[in-house]
Amino acid sequence: MNFDFSLVTDSIPKMLVGVGLTFQLMFLSAIIGLVLAVVLLLMRLSGKWYLGWPAQVFIYVFRGTPILVQIFIIYYGLPQFEAVRDSIFWPILREPFGSAVLALSLNTGAYVSEILRGGVLGVDRGVLEAAKALGLSARQKFIYITAPIATRLAIPAYSNDFISLMKATSLASTITLMDMTGIARTIVAKTFAPYEIFISLAIIYMIFTFIIQKAFGRFERYMSKYVNP
Amino acid sequence: MKLSTLKFLATASVVLFASGSVSAEPLRVGMECTYAPFNYRTADGELAGYDVDVAKGVAEIIGAELEFVCQQWDGMIPALLANKFDLIIASMSITDTRLEKIDFSGPYRDSVGRLIGRSDADLNLFDDSGEPIAANFAGLRVGLERASTYENWFNAVLPDAEIVLYDGSEPLYLDLQNGRVDMIMTNPMKAQLRFLSEEAGGEFGFVSPAISEVEYFGIGVGIGLRQGQDELKERLNGAIKELINNGSLTEYALKIFPFPIHNPAWGDS
Repeated sequence: MNFDFSLVTDSIPKMLVGVGLTFQLMFLSAIIGLVLAVVLLLMRLSGKWYLGWPAQVFIYVFRGTPILVQIFIIYYGLPQFEAVRDSIFWPILREPFGSAVLALSLNTGAYVSEILRGGVLGVDRGVLEAAKALGLSARQKFIYITAPIATRLAIPAYSNDFISLMKATSLASTITLMDMTGIARTIVAKTFAPYEIFISLAIIYMIFTFIIQKAFGRFERYMSKYVNP
Repeated sequence: MKLSTLKFLATASVVLFASGSVSAEPLRVGMECTYAPFNYRTADGELAGYDVDVAKGVAEIIGAELEFVCQQWDGMIPALLANKFDLIIASMSITDTRLEKIDFSGPYRDSVGRLIGRSDADLNLFDDSGEPIAANFAGLRVGLERASTYENWFNAVLPDAEIVLYDGSEPLYLDLQNGRVDMIMTNPMKAQLRFLSEEAGGEFGFVSPAISEVEYFGIGVGIGLRQGQDELKERLNGAIKELINNGSLTEYALKIFPFPIHNPAWGDS
């Protein structure tokens, strides 16, 4: 087994062409997922069964099934229905990109909502009682006290999920998207050199993970500036 | 002791029979036996299919007795080299990589691609002589299998088409039905059986002639044999040409497909 370094140096620039698509998938899904997560969280915290229940079912379904299966159901499964193909969503679902973003958003939304709930439940009771004693309304309490503290508590777990999301974007290559992984798989199919190409790809993903970790580390320190003197 | 005697006898008989023009020794033919419609077992356990018909036709002409050996695809060439059988008649395309290890007869089946799209779409993609009109492909989405011969052909001949790469033929059919791609390019024989003849394929049909430029598609499917058997190879080539010229190959194909799957020009000398 020879390790062909020239293949590595040749293939990395080609794979980096797909960085843009990987990042689009990641950031779009992260933003939509976060909005969805907050909505789900509020539904669960509302204390009303007709809001809490659907949220719980949604989270259960999307945490309980592999993301690859979700992508396949959305990409190959939904268009089997005439109604979907005739609907206003078809221009989005027709595109592999739209399908991938939808699947990734729904999935990450379910996970992040649970992470945020952990943050909310972790807010110290004493602080909340102090807020109540100061006469803050329930809404004010949530916006000014619970939300900032819960966010800080949730950051470490959220950064984990963000990294998972970044890696999950590689699954978009299974539905014809040419992200970094899609490009790598095409190169492998042509060169019969899985070893060199996939190791190069792994290194690129590791570099991105490192950057994301550092960024979240900074954010966490910023959010904790009044906690750790 | 016994073994070496047997070996001696075997060698002696090979030498004897190889010198004669008609071999009483059965020709052992390796195939997968699971690759419908080319070589497979029927419900009664009989081997059938295009490859099987070709093997029988060739054997009849060169006057050999046939013996079929079922062998998994990935071990086909090693088994031939290890003398487990004498010929590969298993829909194996003649490629340069394989020619480094084994020898091939002339082709008996096409290695082709054909475009499939909506039958009712009037796209005007090919001119009367069957040449693609490149401008009319601009912006069309074409589904292909990753790193297939079809991809090479498209990149070289029709770079204006938008190519979408898949990992297998089933997703190709699905996305064609779903309208995500305007057409797909694949093996017409498999597509006919797996898709076009099924209910789901009803609205679709071939929208191109068979495309088989040797530069991109190879010369075709041939009979594999060990290197250095030029005399046997000549007899196989003669038999294949006879099968082409007397219409047998067409007849074998029409049992399965509505079209022949070889190039009549191969029968010329």
